[in-house]
Amino acid sequence: MTEQGETGEPITILLVEDDAPTCWRLQDALVKAGYEVRSAGTLAEAQQALTGGAPRVLLTDLRLPDGHGIELIREMRQRFPDTEIMVISALGDEESVISAITVGATGYLLKDAFPTDIATTVRDLVAGHSPISASIARFIVRRTQGAAPNSAEPPPGPVLNTAKLTPREIDILWGIAKGFSYAEIASHLGLSKQTVPGHIKNIYRKLEVHTRSEAVFEAVQQGLIKL
Amino acid sequence: MSEIAAKAPTTAPPRPRRRLIASRLVPYLLLQLLIVIVTIFGLRLLQPSDPEDFALSDFSAREDGLTRPVTLPHFTSSRYSLADPPFYTGAFTFRNADAASGWSVYLPRFSNAVEVAVNGVVVLDSRRDANANRPDRNTPEIAAIPASLLREGSNEITVRLFVWGPLKGFLDTVYVGPDAAMRPAYETRTLLFVTLPVVFSAWQSILAVILAIMWLMRRREPVYGVLAVAMVLGVVQAFVPPPVPPAATSRLAAVLLASAPTESALVVMFGVLFFGWRWPRYGALLFVPGVVVFVIGLIGGPPLPRILFLVLGIPTVGLCLFLMACVTATAVVRRQDAASFTIGCAVTIVLVCWIQDMLTVLEIVSNDRIFVSRLSYSAMLVAIGAGLTWRFARALNQVDSFAGQLVTRVREAEQRLKASFAREEERARAAALANERTRLMRDLHDGLGGQLVSIVALSERGHEGASITDAARAALKDLRLVIDSMDDIGGDLMLALGSWRERTTAQLRPHDITLDWRVATPQGVPLHPELRPWHVIQIVRILDEAVTNAVKHAQARRIAVTIDTFDAGQGPYGVISVTDDGQGFALKGFAPAENGEAGRNGQTARGLRNMKSRAARCGAELDLSSDASGTRVRLQLPQRFPDSDMAAG
Repeated sequence: MTEQGETGEPITILLVEDDAPTCWRLQDALVKAGYEVRSAGTLAEAQQALTGGAPRVLLTDLRLPDGHGIELIREMRQRFPDTEIMVISALGDEESVISAITVGATGYLLKDAFPTDIATTVRDLVAGHSPISASIARFIVRRTQGAAPNSAEPPPGPVLNTAKLTPREIDILWGIAKGFSYAEIASHLGLSKQTVPGHIKNIYRKLEVHTRSEAVFEAVQQGLIKL
Repeated sequence: MSEIAAKAPTTAPPRPRRRLIASRLVPYLLLQLLIVIVTIFGLRLLQPSDPEDFALSDFSAREDGLTRPVTLPHFTSSRYSLADPPFYTGAFTFRNADAASGWSVYLPRFSNAVEVAVNGVVVLDSRRDANANRPDRNTPEIAAIPASLLREGSNEITVRLFVWGPLKGFLDTVYVGPDAAMRPAYETRTLLFVTLPVVFSAWQSILAVILAIMWLMRRREPVYGVLAVAMVLGVVQAFVPPPVPPAATSRLAAVLLASAPTESALVVMFGVLFFGWRWPRYGALLFVPGVVVFVIGLIGGPPLPRILFLVLGIPTVGLCLFLMACVTATAVVRRQDAASFTIGCAVTIVLVCWIQDMLTVLEIVSNDRIFVSRLSYSAMLVAIGAGLTWRFARALNQVDSFAGQLVTRVREAEQRLKASFAREEERARAAALANERTRLMRDLHDGLGGQLVSIVALSERGHEGASITDAARAALKDLRLVIDSMDDIGGDLMLALGSWRERTTAQLRPHDITLDWRVATPQGVPLHPELRPWHVIQIVRILDEAVTNAVKHAQARRIAVTIDTFDAGQGPYGVISVTDDGQGFALKGFAPAENGEAGRNGQTARGLRNMKSRAARCGAELDLSSDASGTRVRLQLPQRFPDSDMAAG
C-alpha cells in the first residue's frame, strides 16, 4: 500500500532526527504505511535534502547536532509554504512544541507513538487535519486567560500571542484541553463535526509569527520589548 | 495645704529627703526674700509725685460738731452715717496774673467720697464717678474751677468727706493751682489706678473665656475651669458699679464686690490642682468665709458686706495667699520647674502687696493710703493665664512632635515589616521550592525510577521485547505525567483529566480497548483553587492503576470513565468512576493468595493498596467493587483538597 497525494504521486516525507534508533523506528512505521521517506540526521543534511525539492511533509526534531529545528521550520515555511510541518518530541512539552508552532509547525508527533498512530497522524496532517493535544490546547487557553495587561514580567514559557483568537476558537481549545472529542465539542458548541479541524488549522495559523518584523511587532505589543 | 507639705517627708527615708528639701527650699526662700525687697522698693518708686508747689495742707476740720485745725493727709473716724460728714475748710491765694491757663482743684486720694466747693459753690462731687467710689482703686479727682468763682487774693475751699465704714475716712493733701500744673500728676494716677486695672480686667476676661473653652473641651482637667471662674469673679468685681450710700438697693452688687475671699480660695484650689495634687475634701472649708460674706451680705444688705469683707474677707485673702505660697513652695521643692518658680514669685509679690495694704489700713505705715494688692493680684492672674496659654501651646507642640515621631515610627515599623515580609516570602519560597523538590523526587522515585531500574534488570537478564518495552513505556508515561502535573491548571482538574484521556486513549488503542468518556455535567468536577500538582499526580496515578488493572488482569474490552458532580447539601464534590467489563478479581484479602495465581493476585493487591493509600493522601475516598461482570473503581473527591500530605505526614 502506497500513500498517494491528490496527483497520484507518492507522499514524500523529510524526517530529521539525530538519534538513529528513533529515526529507524519512525522511518519503519512511515515506510510501512506507504510513504516515501528521506531521513536526515543533522540540519545540514536536511537543508541539502531540500535542494532536491520540497517534501510534502517535514517531521523534525528540535535539538539537532548542528542547529535548531526551529530554523529549519522557519526556512521551510518561507520557501515551501505548502509543506506540512510537524515536530518530533520525546515528551510533547509545550516549551518546544509551542515555539515550533509559532514558526509554522502544526502539532507534534511523540517519538514513542505506536506505529499505527504515527501513520494515522501523518495521514490526517496531509488531509488537512492539524492535530492538537490536550496539553498544548491547555497551554494556549491558559495564556488567553492569564495575560495580565500590565504584568511586569511575561508569563513563563515561550512567547505566544493569543490576541487574534476568536472566542469560538478559544471555546474549542477549552474543549480539547478538557479531553472532549471533536464530536463532543461540535455538539456542545453547535458546530458541525467536520468544521472543527478547520478551526484548529486556523488556530495554528493565527499563532504563527510570520516574519521577523512581525515578531518584533508582536513582542512590542506584548510589552516584551520597550522601544 | 499643710498636709501636702507633711506628706512628703513620710514617704521616704527622712535624712536624705530632708537634706534634699533643704537644698531646694533654702535657695527658693532666699529668692523670695530678694523679691520681697525688690517689691518694697518698687512700691516706693511707684508713689506718684504731686505738684507740691500748690499743696494745701492746712485746713480746719469740723467733725462731730468739733472744729480744729488739721494738716492733710488726715484720717477721720469710721462712720456709717452720711449725715454731717467731716467738713474741711481751707484757703488759697489766687492771682489774676496766673489765670491764663485756668485753675483746678486736684485731690490725689480720698476715701470714700468728696464734695468740693470753692467760695461756696460746689465744683466736684466724686460720688458720681463710679471708679472713685471704689476704696480699693486709688482714684484721683480733678475739677476745673470756673474763673468767675475765683477772687483776686484769698479764696475759700471746703471739702466734705463722705465716709462709709468700716474703713476710716481719709483725705490726702489737696492741690489748687493752674490746671497745667495739676494735670500731669492727675493723668499719671489715673493711668496707674484707673486705666491699668481696667486693662488688666479686660485681659482677664479674655483669658477667662479662653480657659472656660479649654475646660469645656477638656472636662477631665478642672484646673482650667477653676481658674476661669476665679477670673470671671475678678472681672465682675472690676466692672460692677459700686453702690453709693445711702442707696441700699443693689445688694447683689455689694456682695459681688465682696467676693474676693471666694476668688482667692479658687486660686488656691487652682494652685493645688495645677501642681497635680488632689483637692482635699476639707478644702471646701476655705470657701466658707466667702459664702458667709455672700449669704449674710445678701440678706443683711449694706453695710454688712463691707463690714464682713473687712473682718472676714481680707484675712481670708491673706490666708489664701499664704496657703498659695506654701503650695508653690512645695511645688518648687518637688518639681523644680519654671512654672512653680514663676507662680511662687508672683504669689510672693501679691503677698507683699497684701501685707503692705494691711499695714496701710492699720495706719502702721503711711503711704497716702494707696492700695496695691488688687492691682498686683490682677497682674498675677494675667501671668498665670499667660503661663497656662504657654503650657497649652507647648502641649500642642508636643502633640505635633509626637505625631511626627509617630509617623517616623510607623514608617520604620512599616519598613521592618516589609523587610520581614520579604524575608518571610523568601523563606516561604525556599520552603515551597524544597517541598516541590521533595515531591518531585518522590514522584520520580515512585514511578520513573522504579521503571528504569526494572528496565535495567530486564536487560541484564537478557529479556527481549515486550517486558522491556512495557517498562520503558510506563517510564515515559510517568515522566510525562510528572511534567504535566507541574503545569498550572488553575484548580481545574478537568484540564489534567483531558490530558490523561488523550494519553490513555493512545495507550489503549493497540490493545483494541475502547475508552468511553462520559462527562455528566458541563463543568465536569468542581473547581478546586487549592488543587496542587501532587494532588493531580495522585489522582491520575489512581486512574492509571485502574486502567492498567482492567487491561492487564481483567481482560476488559471496554473501559468507561464517568465524571460527575454530586451535592449532598454540604457543597458539591466530584466523583470519577472507572468501570470495565472484564472478569473482575477477588477483593478478599489484599495479601497474596496461596493458589497458582499468587503472583498476579499479589500484584493486583499491591496495586489496590497503592490506590487506597494515594486516595487517602489527597483526602479522597476510593470504592472498589468487582465481580465476574466487571470492576468498578469509584473515586470520590474531597470538597477541599488537604494542604499537606495526609498520609505522609
